[in-house]
Amino acid sequence: MIILNLDNSTIKNLSTNELAVLRYVYDHTSEVSNMSIQELAKKISYSTSTILRFCKKLGFSGFSEFKYALRSEIQKSDVPKISLPNKRSSKMIINSLCSDIEATSHLLMEGRLDAAIRYLNSDIPIYLWSPGGLTSVLIDYLEMLLFASGRQNVHKIETPKTANHVISNLGPDNILFVISSTGAYAPTVKLVKLANMNHIPVISITPYTNNTIANLSSVNFCFFANQRENNGAEYTSRLPIFYTISMIIKCYLKSKEPGGPL
Amino acid sequence: MIPLLEKAHSMQLTEMEQHILTYFEDNLSTVAFMNLEELSHILYTSNATIVRFCKKIGLNGFNEFKYQLKKELSQLKQDSFSSDDLVRQSLATFKDNIESLHFEDLEEIRSLLISNRPLYIYGTGLSCTPARYLQNALTNLDRSCILIEFTDLLEAITYNIKDDAILFIITTHGDADRYMQIFENAKQRRTTVILITCREDSPLLPFSSCSIVTNDKNKRYHNTDINSRIGILTVIQILIEMIANELPVKA
Repeated sequence: MIILNLDNSTIKNLSTNELAVLRYVYDHTSEVSNMSIQELAKKISYSTSTILRFCKKLGFSGFSEFKYALRSEIQKSDVPKISLPNKRSSKMIINSLCSDIEATSHLLMEGRLDAAIRYLNSDIPIYLWSPGGLTSVLIDYLEMLLFASGRQNVHKIETPKTANHVISNLGPDNILFVISSTGAYAPTVKLVKLANMNHIPVISITPYTNNTIANLSSVNFCFFANQRENNGAEYTSRLPIFYTISMIIKCYLKSKEPGGPL
Repeated sequence: MIPLLEKAHSMQLTEMEQHILTYFEDNLSTVAFMNLEELSHILYTSNATIVRFCKKIGLNGFNEFKYQLKKELSQLKQDSFSSDDLVRQSLATFKDNIESLHFEDLEEIRSLLISNRPLYIYGTGLSCTPARYLQNALTNLDRSCILIEFTDLLEAITYNIKDDAILFIITTHGDADRYMQIFENAKQRRTTVILITCREDSPLLPFSSCSIVTNDKNKRYHNTDINSRIGILTVIQILIEMIANELPVKA
């Protein structure tokens, strides 16, 4: 199997016929690399112009350039497999995890935690927004830990309609807590804007990049992680977020001990 | 006593300013995070009076006062325990945990997880967080698996589980009372059991096919489990990354 380094948007742009061409190329790489465009067209029963269009969408000037790329990929795949750029060793995986957590840790210092703990130490009701999917696993984790550490008045809201209803009826003496692994998820952004209109302070956990949710929050925790997905299903590492949550809880518990911070 | 407010004592202050000074000194860390409106509300005074007070002690205004206060507080905190210390401490624990992991164990578990055998992931209480996380992520990586969140259900399954099935069990305390029956059943039916725990001396360890012990601490607060399971979550994340690494075409 060769890898043509196609990104998602390229694949999405292909028509059904062109996808069929792609599939044939994947299954018969070495034969295709030695065929003429007429031979291939006959073999797969598509016109030569479909094949040409396919090559152009993949970023090649024509069929010969495509064949050239195929051949060089075949040669590459003959050399030992480790040289593939997208395979990482276990050591590399662990190192990048470590550096994500380390960078996230540094962002937790300098008063950010203290500011959030101040809200937790009050009796103000906290509303946790749980949008579903992996983020809901995070929210449930936060909810359980808040309960376990004795915080009262923690409410979880689940569907966008309920959330909009609840938030629009709240006054400034409440807190909205949101987590977003992209910082741009539309229902979350909408909710945060609504909270802002009602002067409700927002605590958020978002990526370190510039994003709307972070900009509208009273306290923002940011984390480092690379966005990754598998054909639309994303599996971006949530470990830095878990880590941030556990730090908030640790600090909260510590602050309740005599002589703790704050 | 912090240097910022020290010189105010040698100054001639009005009654209100004296009141402000006392309040600031009693509530140093809170004041650093308040805004002018909140403060004037609590002190029954106007914003202008507070700003005047800040100017009197040689600052430009309330914002500069807060900035200085935070700076001096953080210097003060270096002597006593602060949240920053807690962050540093936790980071060290995180790294210790990673260093104690064995690649061979991870590799073995990874190959079990990507096989086509039926996979059950179990975690209850706070441990259902790592279990749900793994199940969600594996589904997104095209590996279907089944999540079990109740001990009774897990036990029920082990009575007629197939020998090619894999049980992935997450439990922090690794209690014999609760799980011995399950582990014995699994052993009898020759089911593969992967155990993730943070108790080095768990009596379940000899009964599992492969296991990972993390360095999480089984802490309790008011008799409630408060173990954050970061070590376990780290192991889960490493496994997810290792599996994702094997995807044929990366997006």
